[in-house]
Amino acid sequence: MKPLLLRLFVISSLIALAVTAHGSSRPRYGGTVRILLHDKVMFLDPLSDEDHPAARDRMAALTFETLTTIDAQGRVQPALASQWHADANKRSWQFRLRLANFHDGAVLTAADVAASLAKSNPAWKYSAPDRQTVAIETPYPVQRMPEILALLRYAIVKRQTDSTGSPLLVGTGSYKLTQWQTGERAQFTANEDYWGGRPFADTIEFQMNASLRDQFMDRQLGPYAATELSVDQLRAIEQSNQTIALSQPSDLLALVFLQPDSGGRSAKKPIDPRVREALTLAMNRAAISNVLLQRKGIPASGLLPQWLTGYEFMFDGAQNLNRARELRADAAAFIVINPITLAYDFSDPMAKLVAERIAVDAREAGIMVQPYAESHINSKTARAYLNADAVLLRVPLQSANPSIALSAYIDDLGLSQENIPAILGSTRPEDLLEPERKMLDGFRVLPVAHIPQALWLNTNVHNWQQQATGEWQLDQLWIEGAR
Amino acid sequence: MFILKTAFKPWFCVSLVLFLVAATFAQQEPQSTSSAATEFVQQILSKGGLPSAVAVTFQNVSSLSPDAQESLQNTMFNAFRNANVRLVKPEQAVVEVQITFSEDWQGYVWIANIQQGSTRQLVIKKLPRQQRVQNARTLTLTIHKIPVWQQETQILDFFQDNQNLILLEPEQISLYTSDSGQWRLRHTLGIPHEFSWPRDLRGRLEIHGNEMNAFLPGVRCNGRISSPSLDCRASDDPWPLDPGLVAFYSPRRNFFSGLLAGQNAGASVPAFFSGVSWQNSDQRMWIFTGTDGRVRLFQNTLASPAAMFNGWGSTLASVHSGCGSGWQLLTSSPADTTRPDSVQAIEVNGHDAAPVSSPVDMSGSVEALWTAGNYDQVVNGVLHSQSGKYEAFTLAVICNQ
Repeated sequence: MKPLLLRLFVISSLIALAVTAHGSSRPRYGGTVRILLHDKVMFLDPLSDEDHPAARDRMAALTFETLTTIDAQGRVQPALASQWHADANKRSWQFRLRLANFHDGAVLTAADVAASLAKSNPAWKYSAPDRQTVAIETPYPVQRMPEILALLRYAIVKRQTDSTGSPLLVGTGSYKLTQWQTGERAQFTANEDYWGGRPFADTIEFQMNASLRDQFMDRQLGPYAATELSVDQLRAIEQSNQTIALSQPSDLLALVFLQPDSGGRSAKKPIDPRVREALTLAMNRAAISNVLLQRKGIPASGLLPQWLTGYEFMFDGAQNLNRARELRADAAAFIVINPITLAYDFSDPMAKLVAERIAVDAREAGIMVQPYAESHINSKTARAYLNADAVLLRVPLQSANPSIALSAYIDDLGLSQENIPAILGSTRPEDLLEPERKMLDGFRVLPVAHIPQALWLNTNVHNWQQQATGEWQLDQLWIEGAR
Repeated sequence: MFILKTAFKPWFCVSLVLFLVAATFAQQEPQSTSSAATEFVQQILSKGGLPSAVAVTFQNVSSLSPDAQESLQNTMFNAFRNANVRLVKPEQAVVEVQITFSEDWQGYVWIANIQQGSTRQLVIKKLPRQQRVQNARTLTLTIHKIPVWQQETQILDFFQDNQNLILLEPEQISLYTSDSGQWRLRHTLGIPHEFSWPRDLRGRLEIHGNEMNAFLPGVRCNGRISSPSLDCRASDDPWPLDPGLVAFYSPRRNFFSGLLAGQNAGASVPAFFSGVSWQNSDQRMWIFTGTDGRVRLFQNTLASPAAMFNGWGSTLASVHSGCGSGWQLLTSSPADTTRPDSVQAIEVNGHDAAPVSSPVDMSGSVEALWTAGNYDQVVNGVLHSQSGKYEAFTLAVICNQ
């Protein structure tokens, strides 16, 4: 355990430097920043049910803003809201808005904010006591409301329709969306009237669905400022002395058993809990992290990573084949154990390798796992129609605040909402450990690894801020060679 | 809403060395490890129902060194004993406590697993990591960084003397006065402005006796320190950069346009971020850090550069140390996203420039460096630290011989 944690700490320290360090050359204005994204994005709305929500959020964060934001140290900071306060029991919150304009020139009002937030979370009540104040009331105490509202799903979006009846999204962010080709390309242009000052770069362009392997082979990366990398590409790029930015091991790679009765899925028998437990005990997470993830990933025993909470080590993720075989035999005495079909993301070669490795480990415990590729496992809607027993998901860490991150996992992994009030009402780390334990107790979610988000950066790119969670903050971005 | 974290009052009227020795940095220390350990033990005992006999075991899954771990264990053992609790073997214990030294990305995490019969309870305590302090001593000069003030909100420039600390901030000027060695806020004077400030906001504060002038992009303010007052107006007036150097600032950007004023009125150089001027024997010298990344040295004439340098940071200030050739430049490091910023002294000889000090780690981003208006032996600076706070500091240079 200790060498692993020491390694984690060393990795984390390096990343912390990369995340928080600043050079002292003053930012320069102008230029076009071109970025390659691995995935396709179909809709920019932060509330859309996307196959690749992380890729969508990278672009959406340029044009849509939240009331608050989280800085590199994990502290909440004002954004569209300049100040806020809550009543004593943290069920009634008020946020004071700063003066800001939407990209269509209209002034941001409390009514706009209330309407947008009502779409984000209909379970809470919103009102506008005056033009600059938004009030939020919740049915249970929410200790960390400002941190919650920093999530992009709470971004303030004015949803309209254009003359043809197509949806039109208007934001207040530092960049305006000026070109959009669904799933292919997006262009954002500096908002000259942004309340926080015009951003440095003139334009940011995203090319989606890019194959980095091809780009490297063709030595075509020169015009690009940055491109996403997968973990298996890191070693080759490190050896060629290129600049790589790694986040903390933030994404959760987890095997998630699908509810048999959710959505429109054909009713399949649920996998017996003893078999699910046997499967988690059969997994050799260390091998997955060390070999398949080339030591860039960290074995996961909990949902939240050790670097975030300091207590993940209290969840047992060690392989125990003997106990796995016992559990499997125990289950087999009462039920017929059918093969477990495991869907993985067809666009992620790493997911295929991990799913196959899980199948090999499971076989050691006498459990048949049949991995197969699926194209839409990340979309919650599409997942409801999958015929698989389980999916291998890579879920981004939504927040550097543990309680917010844990509550977001409940949504992302389709877990029971019953723990939400306890999580959002927690004031101490101890209060968070038990809900996490409960979420893992039924073996519906089997954590496999925590994986960093990786990025190749051109040497002419500056102030590329990658948060500990892997989120990009590009509003301070600038490039050399611009005017 | 400013948070006072540190206060420091240097006495510039004494010699520089005495000034450095006398300088103290009355930092409000975070909770000490010892008191944190005592508090942690009290929380454990409270959860455990104030038992008379406890078995305690430890494990370390953090980067804490074995020596530090042993020291911490001893502190906790003592805290148990001081609470009149006997430390016994597990088989004799009413309560068993397993303490784990862990850590997260922000600091250390201590976890106590308290087992009392079939009941298990947890106590978790988080502590920030201590920040490291660095200094440098080599070559001709040694640079000393002396923290002056630290706050959560942005500082653009500052002035201090025995009685006053004046901070130029984006929306106000804050006046502090000395009170028993501590700076106390006396007055804040708002800075009205019609347009949003540009990014990478910069500002310049100039004090002459009781008069103060503040320069921000497109705005100039004049005011008084005693009987505080401030009058701000839209203005493109040139900013004073260095004694003998005045230049026009681009009101919607973060650089000087290159058009000079004052005694160099009419002259222009390529747009720049930072510029200094000094007299070296019979030569007038100027250096500008261009927005194109090049540093241009001019000698006697601004018609064309005498030399150009690359690889410097874009922020610099001149300092009259008396060592070496007498004048040096303190310059920030070039942009590098993998290292914290540093400041290094550079001396110009003829057409060459060479470092004459070790780089001093600044643990953050240097936002501004200005030759202190009242003492040209020191440079005032502003730092956006890695902790996210803004820090006003002074850099003093000491000759090594």
